[in-house]
Amino acid sequence: MTHLTMTMLAQTIVSGLMIGLIYALIAVGLTLIFGVMDIVNFAHGEFLMLGMYASFWGASLFFLDPLFTLPLTALMLFAVGVLVYRLVIRRILAAPMLSQIFATFGMMILLRGLAQFLWKPDHRTVPHALVEGKITLFGLQLGTPQLTASLGAVLVTGGLWWFLNRTRLGTALEATSIDREAATLMGINSERMFALAWGIGAACAGIAGALLSTYFPIFPEVGADFILVAFVVVVLGGFGSVAGAFWAGIIVGEVEVLGGFFVGPAYKNALVLSLFLLVLLFRPRGLMGKA
Amino acid sequence: MDRLTLVKRILGLAVLIVALGFPLIVTQPTMVNFAILILMAAQLGVAWNILGGYAGQVSLGHAVFYGIGAYTSSVLAAKFGLSPWLGMLAGGAIASGFALLIGWPCFRLKGHYFAMATLAIAAIVEVLVTNWDYVEGAIGIYLPMTNSGWAGMVFTRSKTPYFYIALGLLLLSLLVSRILQKSYIGYYFRAIKEDPDAARSLGINLARYKLVAIAASAFLTAMGGTLYAQKELFIDPGSVLAGSLSIKIALIAILGGVGTLFGPVVGALVLIAIEEFTRQIFGSTGMGTDMIIYGGIIVIIAMFSPGGIAGLLGEWERAWRARRKLVYTPPGDGI
Amino acid sequence: MKRLFRGLGLGALGCLLLASAGLMGAARAEDEIRIGAIYPLTGAAAGTGVELKAAAELAAAIVNKEIPLPGNLAAGAGMPNLKGAKIKLIFGDHQGNPQVGATEAERLITQEHVVALIGCYFSNVTATASQVAERYGVPFLNASSSSTPLTERGFKWFFRTSPHDDLFVANFYDFLKAVEQKKGVQLRKLALFNENTLWGGETTKIEVKLAEEQGFTVAEKILYPAKSTQMTSEVQRLKAADPQVLMQSSYLGDAILSMKTYKELGFAPPMVLANDAGFSDSEYLKTLGKDGNFVLSREVWALDLADRNPLIKQVNDLMKGRNGVNLNGNSARVFTGVAVLADAINRAGSTQPEAIRKALQETNIPADQIIMPWKGIKFDEKGQNSLGTGIIVQVQNEQYRTVWPFDIATADIVYPFPKWEGR
Repeated sequence: MTHLTMTMLAQTIVSGLMIGLIYALIAVGLTLIFGVMDIVNFAHGEFLMLGMYASFWGASLFFLDPLFTLPLTALMLFAVGVLVYRLVIRRILAAPMLSQIFATFGMMILLRGLAQFLWKPDHRTVPHALVEGKITLFGLQLGTPQLTASLGAVLVTGGLWWFLNRTRLGTALEATSIDREAATLMGINSERMFALAWGIGAACAGIAGALLSTYFPIFPEVGADFILVAFVVVVLGGFGSVAGAFWAGIIVGEVEVLGGFFVGPAYKNALVLSLFLLVLLFRPRGLMGKA
Repeated sequence: MDRLTLVKRILGLAVLIVALGFPLIVTQPTMVNFAILILMAAQLGVAWNILGGYAGQVSLGHAVFYGIGAYTSSVLAAKFGLSPWLGMLAGGAIASGFALLIGWPCFRLKGHYFAMATLAIAAIVEVLVTNWDYVEGAIGIYLPMTNSGWAGMVFTRSKTPYFYIALGLLLLSLLVSRILQKSYIGYYFRAIKEDPDAARSLGINLARYKLVAIAASAFLTAMGGTLYAQKELFIDPGSVLAGSLSIKIALIAILGGVGTLFGPVVGALVLIAIEEFTRQIFGSTGMGTDMIIYGGIIVIIAMFSPGGIAGLLGEWERAWRARRKLVYTPPGDGI
Repeated sequence: MKRLFRGLGLGALGCLLLASAGLMGAARAEDEIRIGAIYPLTGAAAGTGVELKAAAELAAAIVNKEIPLPGNLAAGAGMPNLKGAKIKLIFGDHQGNPQVGATEAERLITQEHVVALIGCYFSNVTATASQVAERYGVPFLNASSSSTPLTERGFKWFFRTSPHDDLFVANFYDFLKAVEQKKGVQLRKLALFNENTLWGGETTKIEVKLAEEQGFTVAEKILYPAKSTQMTSEVQRLKAADPQVLMQSSYLGDAILSMKTYKELGFAPPMVLANDAGFSDSEYLKTLGKDGNFVLSREVWALDLADRNPLIKQVNDLMKGRNGVNLNGNSARVFTGVAVLADAINRAGSTQPEAIRKALQETNIPADQIIMPWKGIKFDEKGQNSLGTGIIVQVQNEQYRTVWPFDIATADIVYPFPKWEGR
């Protein structure tokens, strides 16, 4: 590395932060579902994919920018999440962990196949996105789509945290995740809470998809690129902790980018996974997980 | 011995005889290959089951053992001209050693955490091998097609020998599985799985028996990896160390029925059949239909038969016995 | 109720198995010549695979005279020596998995009774699938996998029409020297940026070796993990290395993401020299639009060569009419592969594998009967087409223009790669 400068280092850190926030947004949905009902959702990346396609079709058929259709995308994915819960997950609640993994894994393949069937396997991008180009700040170059996406991720994650901690419904959801039986005794309908968790979880992934759609190629298998990193973030932050996932997302983004920069891009995933392994071994409940 | 047990024994014997005679009756290469794929998958499922089923430690990283097996024998064969038969044992030994190394710290983790740790370890190893020049890194290793015969474990004319090697490995895995299950270790496994706290309070050294399970499971899985390398004659990290492979190995056992002796065999039969037929019938359209059906069937089985196919059969058996007013069999004792 | 569902599920499974068993044994017509084609039709590369399928089908339709084609295209002659028999392509999906590729090859050979195979795009799948063909003694024609060792295995039944990586990388250096001379610039400091599977790994190896031999310096060498979610660290390192030439090998998704990251981070080395694949996929420009401009790529084909070879435009118009996309380097090679097979089978006058193999060995198709800018098609003793050549194209105004070799170039090279701000 001949021309390593402070700007370069700062740029790398900022880029890591921006991608890390997206990781966080994808992971909060996953961690919410896990926290409330102890189910690892392998099909979470596919919710992201559906969110991206919803944005793409909104933009190419109705000329609506992904940012305008974002609430609609979130609603649609909420519906998808609830539907998946009602049709599949509800029936396997009592099943062993293994068959739950099995079911969501099958769903992952099913949704990928469905996307290829309905929308062809092509790579696509949103035409004429509203946010384009980049801005230069103190010599740092920030892609406007990336910047918008990471700001959106902060807002949504913050909003979700507020909802869980400061609203009646949210507190009920949190209560269910802490102690299902006690919550039921308090008159909370846990069935409804589960459906709500799936709806919100999928909606978060959908919003992440909408934000990503302005700069990431869209194709049926796109979820595969994000799912492993989302798992890492969930575990690192602590299964079930939204705030934990937020900070863990940033850490993973930074480790990936800085590690790739200093150690070598070939090893960036290995570095993230090693960190993950260390946390698992020495602090299995993650950064902010419940003991 | 009651009637049902007798029927089961006879059935088992019949299946074994049919299996032994299969390549003699069916000469169609596609069917033989199909059978080999099933046997190889079944062997992996049975090996996984020792750790994931009996000892209750769900691994989502078994590809790492498979890859070690494939790479060890291939490197030894390609660089030192060592027979893959020895390579198979060497691969098993290295995989076992590695398993003990990772088992020691990871067995402190429970449930999802252990599964996630194995997933991560396998992914890290994949990255390292991809960048390791000595084993040809991303390029992978070609094995020569020459010297067809048993000595070199390469068969170019007929695939029948691969069939018998795969069958042999499967029987070996079943045997190991059976011995472990029936020995005192098996009782400890059950104790570990069903009530770890009680087991610990009885003074059972949980870690030691889990280590036995992971070492045996890794050894057998690595042997399967060597067979893959010798059958396809080309390996690269993407084909023997991939995360999707780890999940598939677990799926085989889960689909068939975790913790049962023959569950993974049934699981392999069904999973490979679905995989092959959906791809053959619908794959050529390029429409993704095969994935829709494959994924759909998996979801349906998971929903309606959470104990796997063996669980379903076990349930039928219990129902039958109940009607006959025969002895009650506790769940999970196999088909 | 629950039990009923389970019963239904198992029943459906049984039906599926039975139905497939029935399908496998279906009767087939006598006068068709069956050729197996194995491509990635599901999975991450399905987009490319589906396009290759379309190109192969177009070639088959021309051989079968379902579409009249004027001119002297090799495939246009049909099958006069086999009483005008029709070829039928049977497709297999390898999902990007070497074992699945081998399984499909065996199925196509033994169940579908194909007389020859074509495939598989991915070099590692070609490696296993062609071994199956070798075992059964069925000709395997590889149209688009560039890994050099594939033709170094001493196979008797393996033929490759496309040039391989050794030649392509040698072309890179020839090209760089030619540009140095023409533009009076220095292009000696390289950064290698290749994906981490068989193809990228091997390309890196050859690039490093030839760089040393020919007096180039490798300032940075990155083997990046394919299908990344971000490429910031990669691009930062490339920036830090400050190369005169960036040499990149990527499949489609990574090609798109890397260009977007270059733009975001303002990385614009004087020359971006790509290694085909993702950069010549139809979706590359569809997705990136003007941001895809000015990249140079090694190619085997370009649409603008139509001025010199009228066949190119004719075939491309057919492709465009049927599938709505232009041909590209990948699909043109597959098209040519099917045409070469058809030509050999016709000359063999038989569907016996040995006769076809012999005919393939004797293939000698002149340059004016193919749509490739090659000197023709003629296989050496290893089964490698010895007349294949590479070209270098540059994306200019969202079109691929041939810029090297200079004698067939249709446009002058734009150098240096313009800064992102001024575009």
